[in-house]
Amino acid sequence: MKRSYLGEFEEIVLLTVAVMEGGAYGVAITHEISEQTSRSVRLNQVHAALERLEDKGMLKSEMGEPTAERGGRRKRLFTVTAYGRRTLQEIQDVRATLWTRLLNPFKPATSL
Amino acid sequence: MTKPPRLADQLLEFFCAPHRLEEVQGDLYEEFAYQVRRVGERRARGRYWWSVLGFLKPFAIKRKQTVLRPNEHLTTNAMNPTMISNYFKIARRNLVRNKAFSAINMVGLGLGMACSLLILLWVQDERSVDGFHANGNRLFQIYERGYYDGKVEAAYETQGLLAEELKRVIPDVELASGLERSRTVTLEAGAKVSKADGSFAGADFFRMFSYPLVQGTPETALTTPEGVAISRKIAELFFGTPEKALGKSIRYENRDDLMVTAVFENLPANSSQQFDFLRSWKAYVKENQWVHNWSNTSPETLVQLRPGADPAKVEAKIKDFIYQYIPKTKGSRTELALQPYPEKYLNATFKNGQVDGGRIGYVRLFSLVAVFILLIACINFMNLATARSTRRAKEVGVRKVVGAVRSALIGQFMGEAVLLAFFSGILAVSLVLILLPAFNALTGKQLVLPVGQPVFWASLVALLVLTGLVSGSYPALFLSSMNPIRALKGRILSSGSGVTFFRKTLVVFQFSLSLILIVGMIVIYRQMGYIQSKNIGYDRENLLYVPLEGELVKKYNLFKEQAGQLPGIRTISRMKESPTVIGHHVGDISWVGKEPSLSVPFADAVVGFDFLKTMNLKLAEGRDFSREFGTDSLSFMVNEAAVKKIGYKNPIGQPMWWGNRQGKIIGVLKDFHFTSMHQAIEPLIVRLDENTKWGSILVRTEAGKTKEALASLEKICKELNPNFPFTYQFSDQEYAKLYNSEQVVSQLANAFAFLAIFISCLGLFGLAAFTAEQRTKEIGVRKVLGASVPSIVALLSANFLKPVAIAMLIAFPIAGYAMNRWLQGFAYQIRIEWWMFAVAGLLTVGIALLTVSFQSIKAALMNPVRSLRSE
Repeated sequence: MKRSYLGEFEEIVLLTVAVMEGGAYGVAITHEISEQTSRSVRLNQVHAALERLEDKGMLKSEMGEPTAERGGRRKRLFTVTAYGRRTLQEIQDVRATLWTRLLNPFKPATSL
Repeated sequence: MTKPPRLADQLLEFFCAPHRLEEVQGDLYEEFAYQVRRVGERRARGRYWWSVLGFLKPFAIKRKQTVLRPNEHLTTNAMNPTMISNYFKIARRNLVRNKAFSAINMVGLGLGMACSLLILLWVQDERSVDGFHANGNRLFQIYERGYYDGKVEAAYETQGLLAEELKRVIPDVELASGLERSRTVTLEAGAKVSKADGSFAGADFFRMFSYPLVQGTPETALTTPEGVAISRKIAELFFGTPEKALGKSIRYENRDDLMVTAVFENLPANSSQQFDFLRSWKAYVKENQWVHNWSNTSPETLVQLRPGADPAKVEAKIKDFIYQYIPKTKGSRTELALQPYPEKYLNATFKNGQVDGGRIGYVRLFSLVAVFILLIACINFMNLATARSTRRAKEVGVRKVVGAVRSALIGQFMGEAVLLAFFSGILAVSLVLILLPAFNALTGKQLVLPVGQPVFWASLVALLVLTGLVSGSYPALFLSSMNPIRALKGRILSSGSGVTFFRKTLVVFQFSLSLILIVGMIVIYRQMGYIQSKNIGYDRENLLYVPLEGELVKKYNLFKEQAGQLPGIRTISRMKESPTVIGHHVGDISWVGKEPSLSVPFADAVVGFDFLKTMNLKLAEGRDFSREFGTDSLSFMVNEAAVKKIGYKNPIGQPMWWGNRQGKIIGVLKDFHFTSMHQAIEPLIVRLDENTKWGSILVRTEAGKTKEALASLEKICKELNPNFPFTYQFSDQEYAKLYNSEQVVSQLANAFAFLAIFISCLGLFGLAAFTAEQRTKEIGVRKVLGASVPSIVALLSANFLKPVAIAMLIAFPIAGYAMNRWLQGFAYQIRIEWWMFAVAGLLTVGIALLTVSFQSIKAALMNPVRSLRSE
């Protein structure tokens, strides 16, 4: 399958941006991820991942409005590109296929 | 509202890439505000620091933007790998597309560079001569400046005892040695006999000059009267190895038995002193009693000063040195002066008693020529590149439209020029490798390309880059300055008169240089022809010199008697000096009515009977020496220059004194040239003596019977003088040797002038193509309106003759002045005549016209329908 490789963290960032639908920027994404996954995420990691994803063409960005809290600086707002959506979809499909081929699906009760 | 820590903020601003700073800092501020609310200001500050440090990562620091966002554009991309590979690609395509132009360009530049390389090799070699002596900066050559007759003249000839006395009397002179001119003599050891060039030198000689000794020590090499130092070559010839040579005996001229006291390494080619052996000065003094009279001069004197001695002070101290040995005379004066020895080779000509150039003139001249030829080639390149720019205007336009900045375009075109220069450089080096043997034969040197030296390659690369930059500068500036809109409309070439003026100036410059070289070539050629053909006063055809040596010294009369009867030989005489160059001078000639204070050096010659007949000299009055007059050994002959100096009304029969020897003038010789034509004919005095111990036998052969004469001579020499190999010299060849350097210059000048005009015409050819292309439409319109082919050819050609005409106006005065200066170096010279300029001019115009008309005719013959439809 010919597509860019996505790391686990990148996938989470990409998904989060998709989930946030237009309101996605550095701090907001960081907070969202740490709330949803309960892991400590650092701002620079998120920025680096965003940069890589934009580089791969899965995200695009534009400058938003400045706020007083940010010292009058603008946010960079990210949205997922069509390519990014397709990549997410493909990852989802691959996983779904693999899950359906699992003969003994894990039972949530037994797995604990 | 609380603010994040200033220091952390500053740190962030320092390292974070500018285009990323706004969003990063905004996010950090927002996070800080959030943290202040959540955990309080103090911990928030800590976390802020922690976050800022988190951004100390390559992705945030890196200045180059990899993602292009809307409304953003790159500005510093001219040098990125993609563009550079694009430049190469375009350069290659352009070269291949215009094969003829590329070839012209490369050949022109390659030729120019090859030429410069050869000249630079030669110049470097000339400059390295005598530069290898370890004490070089303390070695000085003495020369004598004589004031007499209201004239000042200087020469290297000095008194025979000067070196010893200088060392003894002047404290600052550490070492000193005389050195006599080398002569070819016969050496003999065991059964082996051979000719060798050698001379006499003082005991300090090998301590002063860095000629390494294989055997013996510098201190003892030349201390004993019978000691002789020989070269490795001679040692190997006679004894097999230098080790075996030491202490062995060698017979000199079948007369003196010498002992080898030292063996020196063969002298390097870049030493101006050349000899195979040296005898000690003590032997010289014993053999030449005249040295005790300080008015006689002959050998060179060399001194080495003590470290720290000031040459100017020493020079002042020795100025009147010789008057410690001879009384002062009123009206004439001789001063000693010093010349740094390493400078002597290139500066050995005197003018008004001062050192005034010499070979250095040729070295400078050729350095200049090298630069000129390279410049002509560079100008070519500029003009051709401008011509080609018609085709590249669109490319430049497109590049500018998509955002190429001017510096990027300049870089591109300069780079292309440098690239092409490198190709030409390869061509040039190959050419040099091919031409070097011929060049060596011409200049008589052993030049090699120093391929093993990094310095050579470094300077070659520097030359190439410089050439590339110089030749690429104009096209680069011109092309990059074009207005993109006009360039894309295809209308750049109607560009301002400034460009045309610049181009014309270049052509004028180019042709001026070529014209100067052509005029130079003609003048040098004529002068050389004049020297070769001028009646020098004696007949140098069919004249042989045979060295007077060994048994021949005693059996000369027998030889003369026998040889005179053999076929092919007309007359025979003898002379102590070589008739080609009489270098020996006497100072103590006097006559009746001579002012006692006046001291005039006379060139002197000692000859045998039949001298006039053999040399074919003409008498102005009087008679030759003759056996019929028993007193002729006390008689003199003088030349007309001498009579003028002496002032006798009827010189025949008048008394004269040569030192203490009194005699009468019996004949006055018509002036003849006994040195090179650089010097005026000096007063000459000739006396008769058939008992000198050395000299030359002069043999006049019959025209066309040289071969028989040589066979006869060899037979007699073998009989009479079995221990010496038979050798001889042709007078005309010896004479030609006097002008060796002029011959070389003449041939080099021919080659350079040809090259210069060739390269210039290459450029003109390119320019003609350029103009023809530019005016295609104009020509079409003219033809449609009824212009004839000849009128169009004339129109196009006239355009090119104008710069050539201006070039003549500039070049002729310069060439006239320069060649006049060169001719001043000869006492006997041709006059620069108008036809020389006319020939140079016609030649240039002719060649230029030929070059241009090819393009003009091609343009004029074109079908106007096609040229007019081309839009």
